[in-house]
Amino acid sequence: MRSTPADSRQYRAQLRRALDNQFLRQTLAGFAARNRQQRAETFAGLDFAALAQEVARIKDDSLSRLPELYQQFKQAAEAGGAQVHLAADAAEANRIIADIAKKAGCQRLVKSKSMTSEEIFLNDYLEAQGLTVTETDLGEWIIQLRGEGPSHMIAPAIHLSRQEVAQLFSRVTGRELDPQNVEGLVEVARQELRQAFLSADMGISGGNFCLADSGAIGIVTNEGNARLVTTLPRVHVALVGLEKLVPDLGSALTILSLLVRNTGMGQPISGYVTWISGAVPCATGADGRKEMHVVFLDNGRLALSQDPVFKEALRCIRCGSCANVCPIYAKVGGHNYGHVYIGAIGLILTYFYHGRENARALVKNCLNCQACKAACPAGIDLPRLIKKTAGLVLAQEPRRPAKNRLLAAVLKNRRLFHFLLRRAYLTQKPLARGERLIRHLPFFFGREQGFRSLPVVARRPLRDRWPELARPEAKPHLRVALFGGCLVDFVYPEQAEALLRLLRGRGVRLDYPLEQTCCGLPALMMSEEETAREVAVQNLRALDPAEHDYVLTLCASCGSHLKENLPRLLEGAAGLAVQARQLAGKVIDFSSFMVDVLGVEPALGGSGAQAAYHAPCHLCRGLGVQRAPRELLRAAGYQYLPYAEEEVCCGFGGSYSLEFPELSAAILESKLDQVAATGAELLVTDCPGCVLQLRGGLDQRRSPIQVLHMAEAAAAALDKPRA
Amino acid sequence: MRLESLQDQFQQRIAVVGGRAQTVPDLEAALGYVVRLTQELGGRTLAAPGWGQAELERIQAVGQQAGLEVFSQGLRAQAKNIFCGFTPADWGVAQTGTLVIDSLNEDLRLATMLSEVHVAVLPAARLRPDLPSLQDELGGILQRPQAYLAMITGPSRTGDIELILTMGAHGPRQVHVLILEAAA
Ligand code: SF4
Ligand code: SF4
Repeated sequence: MRSTPADSRQYRAQLRRALDNQFLRQTLAGFAARNRQQRAETFAGLDFAALAQEVARIKDDSLSRLPELYQQFKQAAEAGGAQVHLAADAAEANRIIADIAKKAGCQRLVKSKSMTSEEIFLNDYLEAQGLTVTETDLGEWIIQLRGEGPSHMIAPAIHLSRQEVAQLFSRVTGRELDPQNVEGLVEVARQELRQAFLSADMGISGGNFCLADSGAIGIVTNEGNARLVTTLPRVHVALVGLEKLVPDLGSALTILSLLVRNTGMGQPISGYVTWISGAVPCATGADGRKEMHVVFLDNGRLALSQDPVFKEALRCIRCGSCANVCPIYAKVGGHNYGHVYIGAIGLILTYFYHGRENARALVKNCLNCQACKAACPAGIDLPRLIKKTAGLVLAQEPRRPAKNRLLAAVLKNRRLFHFLLRRAYLTQKPLARGERLIRHLPFFFGREQGFRSLPVVARRPLRDRWPELARPEAKPHLRVALFGGCLVDFVYPEQAEALLRLLRGRGVRLDYPLEQTCCGLPALMMSEEETAREVAVQNLRALDPAEHDYVLTLCASCGSHLKENLPRLLEGAAGLAVQARQLAGKVIDFSSFMVDVLGVEPALGGSGAQAAYHAPCHLCRGLGVQRAPRELLRAAGYQYLPYAEEEVCCGFGGSYSLEFPELSAAILESKLDQVAATGAELLVTDCPGCVLQLRGGLDQRRSPIQVLHMAEAAAAALDKPRA
Repeated sequence: MRLESLQDQFQQRIAVVGGRAQTVPDLEAALGYVVRLTQELGGRTLAAPGWGQAELERIQAVGQQAGLEVFSQGLRAQAKNIFCGFTPADWGVAQTGTLVIDSLNEDLRLATMLSEVHVAVLPAARLRPDLPSLQDELGGILQRPQAYLAMITGPSRTGDIELILTMGAHGPRQVHVLILEAAA
């Protein structure tokens, strides 16, 4: 049995060890880069979102009638001579499989990959019963020999180097093996495992699909080991989760095409897809037939399929993408980013399948960068479910953590909140030594926070400056409300000033309703939904959507929160739900407003300076805005220098960077390395949170690269009219 | 889609995953190919299940003439001794370079799994653009009480060590598809 530290401090120590493992860092970085490129190639010209929606539809339909599909499957499979079992939990599934082996007199078992068997720790159980189990997927065999669990759903031994594999295989074979000869290592496995296949009397496989109308299971592999597992031994047991049921082959083929493309191995189909139904011919079986069993595992799935929120998690088709694209996974790997199931889906499923203790520290380890959500072929809103899971964990704590209670109390009271922010200026003043950044943080921050300098809270927030700044527009044709957000209002009011300069003379009446407060995202990120709801109501009161054509934000995070979360938070709230939707419909980010609404021409002027761009997660994925900022950069006369990981998170994640500073720092470091490699003098982005992180990191490096909010970058162009 | 373009596409796609496909005029040509290939690679046996009586007799005659041992059934007994699997294929999928083989016959399965090299013969008329266009046929096969349906795309491979794509993990190290031209 594995255990993942329930204590945050222990878990962080584990993460630090992973960050120090240079080989792991290198392999994972290479994996992430390759995966990004392959995804781009594989999905070029395909409408990924539409395909994912279709998969989601098929899965949702199937999940809504699991008992019915199960009965149908059972009937069809049994008509073909197979035996179908339903195990209520892990213990029962283990028992059923061991009993099958005993009854049939089987001793030597071969297995192909099955995450479900990992879930129930099947090998441990069978071995304790005196049975011999050999994993036959190369990666699974390697980790079995090492006594580990998989670190990735598709590539279980991705955390190991060829040197480590060569050492291991040398020990197994008693021969000295050359680590540089990977083909030779694969050959060793081929030879050794061929023996195991030929002498096995029982084969255990997983299954990717269970077709209700025919009682067939579908298995996807590259190596072909599942074909041998299901053919050579006289008994075959397929262990599958109930959520693998789909109505028919057509549904399965639709899912298959996306599953395989999405595994990131860059192929449109995997090597082998095998469909098996009934007791097929088998020369060594009784009556020349295979003894065939299908064991379905419930283990909470039926209940989960009826959960209004979490049923979505059962759509998962185990493609591994949510790990592949996750910036945290890319730094620490699966053994440190999951329990049995890893990656984003692992953070959720650990709670449901392996309990609160194993999920407790783990589930907090998410930046909410939305990369997993955008890559999930089943359209699962993973970051949202992660926060919801964290909420469940929190609700079961004997006491809510002090920082949660404090946040809730302060955020709900705007006056108190703003009073505290103003006070922060006075506290920080001596530390800043007259600068706008604090390089040496006071002791209570802890050393690990020192990876970035922190900004000084503005002497006068935007709300105090507003009366002098706002100038009436002669004949406004657009009424726009500015949603400031805490960072713009209290830390970076100059970003709003830049906006005002840019709007001058463009017929826009810009209001800044002073009763507005924090958007509420920080509360949601700490799973304080009630608080998020209360501030949402305050903001709706302050900002009547009917009075404005647009609600403009300079902060991508506030923007995507208002657009996506506000309606969800206030769903069903009398009177407010309508307003929340109206407001959400009017939210627009700065770049889109400039390019798509005002239609700025490439004549703003500009210096021709070389600028790299950082795409904020909540802009490029949260709001789906990708084109406008790059156009605006060019329109403002910059020479735009692209790089590969433009859309990868900067590691900020709000309070995440305080909870997991080492990871935040490591992710930031990769980002800044890439930016530096472009040779740009400027780094432009359109979210004040990203500005904070990027500027702080560059300052610690003493880098000359300047970070600007897109509004500042565009306004600077006004000062340098084009010749 | 025109037949030739399906053939072209199939050839391109299977090449991407490390397989090979080419057209042959008739079974005799296919036999010539498989015998040559087996000899070149130093193999001594041919496992040829799944053929009709007349075809099998030709395979045996040509194989034996070339000094190859030919098996067509009871392949379990030869499990360690199968060099080249020579089998018919039921369909080809152009979009992905995939072979679809109804493999209920256990010997057919073993020949395509245990061989070092798999050579499949695919009638050109059985090429289809994509998997969904085969949905009805395949769904029909799965409706039978027992079914073992194999979709095979290229040689057996793995990326499990440092993601380095390596051929011949468990199944055939090479897959050759001989497309029997329409007239045949
Ligand atoms: S949650 Fe989505 S992305 Fe993650 S493994 Fe499951 S299907 Fe793939
Ligand atoms: S939201 Fe980002 S950090 Fe969180 S699990 Fe998904 S990819 Fe990883």
